[in-house]
Amino acid sequence: MKSGLLLALLLAASSLVPAQDVPAVDELRFPPLKQVEIPKIETYTLPNGMRLYLMENRELPLIGGFALVRTGNLFDPPDKIGLASLTGDVLRTGGTTQKTGDEIDEQLENLAASVESGIGETSGTVSFNSLRQDVDEVLSVFKDLLTAPAFRQDKLDLAKTQYRSLIARRNDDAGSIAAREFSEIIYGRDNPYGWRMEYEHLERISREDLVAFHRRYFFPANILLAVQGDFSAAEMRAKIEKLFADWQVRQPPVPPFPEVRARPAPGVYLAEKQDVNQTFFRIGHLGGLLRDPDFPALEVMADILGGGFSSRLFAKVRTQLGYAYSVGAAWGANYNHPGLFRISGSTRSEATTETIRAILEEIERLRSSEVSDEELKTAQDTVLNSFVFNFDQPAKTLNRVVLYDYYGYPKDFIFKYQSAVAAVTKKDILRVAQKYLRPQELTIVAVGKPSDFGTPLAELKLPVHKIDLTIPEPKRQAARADALSLARGKQLLERAQQAVGGADKLGAVKDLWISSEIVLLGAGGGMRIEQTSRWLAPSTIRQDQQLPFGRMSSYSDGQTGWLATPQGVQPMPAPVLRQARSALLRLLPSLLASDRFPDRQVNLVGEGLLEIQDGSGESVRLKIDAATGLPAALSYAATQAGGPPATAEETLEDWREVEGLKMPFKITIRRDGAPYAEVTVREIRLNTGVTSEELSRKP
Amino acid sequence: MIRAFQGSLAALLVAAACFGQSLAEFEKRVTEFTLENGMHFIVLKRDPAPVVSFYAYVDAGAVNDPRGKTGLAHMFEHMVGKGTTRVGTTDWAREQEALEEVERIYDRIEEERRKGPRADRARLEELETRLRAAIEQANAFVKPNEFVRLFEANGAVGFNAGTGSDYTVYFCSMPSNRLELWFLLISEWMRRPVYREFYKERDVVREERRMRVESSPQGKLQEVLMATAFLAHPYRILVGWASDIENLRARDAAEFHRTYYVPRNITIAIAGDVDAADVKRLAERYFGRIPPGPQPPRVITEEPPQEGERRVVVESPAQPILLIAYKRPDQRHADDPVLDVLAGLLASGRTGLLYKELVRDKRIALAAGAVPAVPAAKYPSLFLIYSVPNVDHTVEENEKAVYEILERLKREPVEETALARVKTKIRADLIRQLASNAGLARQLAFYHVNYGDWRKLFTGIEEIERVTAADVQRVARQYLNPKTRTVAHHVKPAAGTGEEWR
Repeated sequence: MKSGLLLALLLAASSLVPAQDVPAVDELRFPPLKQVEIPKIETYTLPNGMRLYLMENRELPLIGGFALVRTGNLFDPPDKIGLASLTGDVLRTGGTTQKTGDEIDEQLENLAASVESGIGETSGTVSFNSLRQDVDEVLSVFKDLLTAPAFRQDKLDLAKTQYRSLIARRNDDAGSIAAREFSEIIYGRDNPYGWRMEYEHLERISREDLVAFHRRYFFPANILLAVQGDFSAAEMRAKIEKLFADWQVRQPPVPPFPEVRARPAPGVYLAEKQDVNQTFFRIGHLGGLLRDPDFPALEVMADILGGGFSSRLFAKVRTQLGYAYSVGAAWGANYNHPGLFRISGSTRSEATTETIRAILEEIERLRSSEVSDEELKTAQDTVLNSFVFNFDQPAKTLNRVVLYDYYGYPKDFIFKYQSAVAAVTKKDILRVAQKYLRPQELTIVAVGKPSDFGTPLAELKLPVHKIDLTIPEPKRQAARADALSLARGKQLLERAQQAVGGADKLGAVKDLWISSEIVLLGAGGGMRIEQTSRWLAPSTIRQDQQLPFGRMSSYSDGQTGWLATPQGVQPMPAPVLRQARSALLRLLPSLLASDRFPDRQVNLVGEGLLEIQDGSGESVRLKIDAATGLPAALSYAATQAGGPPATAEETLEDWREVEGLKMPFKITIRRDGAPYAEVTVREIRLNTGVTSEELSRKP
Repeated sequence: MIRAFQGSLAALLVAAACFGQSLAEFEKRVTEFTLENGMHFIVLKRDPAPVVSFYAYVDAGAVNDPRGKTGLAHMFEHMVGKGTTRVGTTDWAREQEALEEVERIYDRIEEERRKGPRADRARLEELETRLRAAIEQANAFVKPNEFVRLFEANGAVGFNAGTGSDYTVYFCSMPSNRLELWFLLISEWMRRPVYREFYKERDVVREERRMRVESSPQGKLQEVLMATAFLAHPYRILVGWASDIENLRARDAAEFHRTYYVPRNITIAIAGDVDAADVKRLAERYFGRIPPGPQPPRVITEEPPQEGERRVVVESPAQPILLIAYKRPDQRHADDPVLDVLAGLLASGRTGLLYKELVRDKRIALAAGAVPAVPAAKYPSLFLIYSVPNVDHTVEENEKAVYEILERLKREPVEETALARVKTKIRADLIRQLASNAGLARQLAFYHVNYGDWRKLFTGIEEIERVTAADVQRVARQYLNPKTRTVAHHVKPAAGTGEEWR
């Protein structure tokens, strides 16, 4: 009853149609827009070869600027990916020869000023910002950092720690996984446009590398310096000239950036992520250059397809289907190398395949018929009427002019673009859509939870490739092995073999059956697991667990395997397979018999400390008790799904004899130093005669 | 009656005087007036370029969502894209009839659903089929996204809206010769919004929640923190609970509009190349048509005092984040500027204590910082500290290191140089904001609504200036109290899922 009344009120209110006392939109007439004032920029070449751009801007008592350096992470050596970025970061934090970075932090912040640095894909910048009254002091810090950074080791170490965390965290956000994989797949992972930094690269980068990188690229003739703010140009020019007079370094010209050599990578690429209920997607292929004659038409085309709230994709996927909050398209064009044509967004898992299909249809539609007059006009008006916003802040003009010079574009590029957009026709749009959009080459990256997809991706009738998100562990710096350390390693291993019952006894173990209770500590909070593990020499392993919520079984022969849960049986994912291989190596009777495996190396790496490594690079460290000769502890890198490897340490206690072989009955596990699990072994049986068929039988 | 204000603020700018003439000049360019219906305007003339920024601030947000209808303020905000009775439709009269039919069918569905276990399933299914058909029928009259298209085609940039806990805002920038278009479209919409495509848009809002909260480890953690720290106050939820969103009705949105979008609850700030007299004329003509309404209700529910630390974890395969929140008073409280300074000391730039100790020296965090008021501060809220642990370092280690810093702040007064540095930064940040129309419009509206006067943007600096080391110590002791603390962080999902070998 009440709801009916409310409804009546609502309807009554909205059906009152008073006389329109205001005009309709198309009755409005706008005065012509005031001429926009384009700020004056003065340019000079300093005696040392540096280009200087000055722009007076007296609105606020501030002065700011930036040095644009011809360098970039495209110049990273293939085995030291991340070098350019590290150089850009540590340039600022590592301080100068006179002052540490920390001292500079305080000095600048006392003045509410800043100097920052960074190196991106195709340029490096060092920038500053200051209140007018402090500009001399700030410029001096800016100059010292730009020309003579100290790259202190402690700040390089700090930056590396940070970068390691960035690697560890790179699979946490589904949207950024989609963006990253899309770009790497299209550009190719074997070249600077598509490769990525890993732990092992960081380990190889030294302070000397940073110093050399800076020396190679940071020299006057390789720098454009732009300054704007509350000053007179003549005074600022004199100031800068004097400041940089003693910087006369010369270097050969920097070579051109590498060419993009991408091959089409058509198909669907799926990265599985279990903790999301949306699929984040990117669809596209290689784009083009800003200087392409068709760039203005392509921009208008992309705007119609997915540029704003009034675009086709927005209307279809968001407004009409309600599948997505975010969806959009961009014709990717860069100054000096092809960008990425891309459609991106996210949709609820159930609608993944339908959303992708709807997008593919929109691309087809754009290629098969002309856009409407209204669509073209809206897109052109959007660019032309908002053109003034390219000039609403003087700094935008300065930045543009410097970038045009840097990439060799004409000074009036933006005005040429303006007239070209005005001239685009419906025919042009259809022509460029047919010429530049290549449906058969589309790379489709989807990051989500495929078990929730309503319609499987296979329905798209395109090949589906799985993306492996495993983060490669740093290859553990295997300690140096020489004849002596290997010989000592063998000796110590033999001592341990003796202590547990002898090499012959170990060699006679063909299979193993262990029943135990595991109590999870820490985050898992006291969960108890009943477990039976079985092993059959040399490399078949199975464990069956009784958990509070059901039974789990896992099986591996070292090459393949499966997992069985109450939800069903699935092939063993790659990261778990690695864990299985690591578990095989750690299995005590097998580990202690490592001298019988031709692919294993046993090395003494410290007092009573063995490192045992197998052919695939898995390694375990084994601490041997000096008094008893028994293994006291072992440590290894434990792969964790979706995270960085943890350092696991197992303490082995309560040694008891089983058919003449000593085995530990109490094992305490810590991960990254924190308590993780306690294992109490109930019973161990040797040589039960189990067969591989029995072990591989699914529940 | 229009109350205009023009005058000098020079006396109030003593603290900022060292920055020269610019700030005093600034005040001369501001014109303020209130329409008869109560709607307030602040106009700032700033004309280096022929552009203008608009910021409409409605003093209602997620805290005003009715019980069982969380997400409503946000849902209503989304209707701004749907247009008016004249924009976005091919035939409003027929569209309106079709929309009424949708509501009638939906009413019958709700009636049936309310029977709970006795609901007739077959009947529900039949009604739902009819609902879908009715929605399609209404859609036949829609010119999709026409309202926003008009803005974009007329050169608007940054057209968007946002819903916070305390407010809902609508903003964009336009070439200044399009001034009247903004007045026409926004006043028409605010006066009589239409609930076109409401149920499709509800799906979109539901997707927004999936994207921002359910598929984001950080979003989930923040939501859980708020819902744990606030037992009663509506600050506990921002985006809205999934099931509430899925059941919002057009009627609820209309009721929300009627209650909260009254002129006296709306402030509009305009900054750029405009003439104040033009703005006044247009404001009267377009927004003056909106009838005045009663003062909207304030939130009555107060958060009861917290009587002990609360801890909560979220399982996630992602790398962990740590959030530590303390109860703090609202923005009108005398300690508000001290809390700003305290946050600055902890988190400002490269010299904030959290950065220096957790990130730089101990290297246990990738990033760490503090936010003085979360999620907002119209009502008593939270002082938040966060840390993003480095790989190989634990949440526990980070939490301990944070407490060491906080204990020191309670034990000893901060260094004068550090205090001066933070104050300087707050002043300079203010100056740097003055260079952008959009930023200025936002600040003017925010300060007017929340502090009763936009001048607080500048006079607030004076209050900051007066904060002493003793104040900081007292405030740290008073508010950084374990008893009123809520801690939230991620933990790895319980192991033993068959994916762990041992």
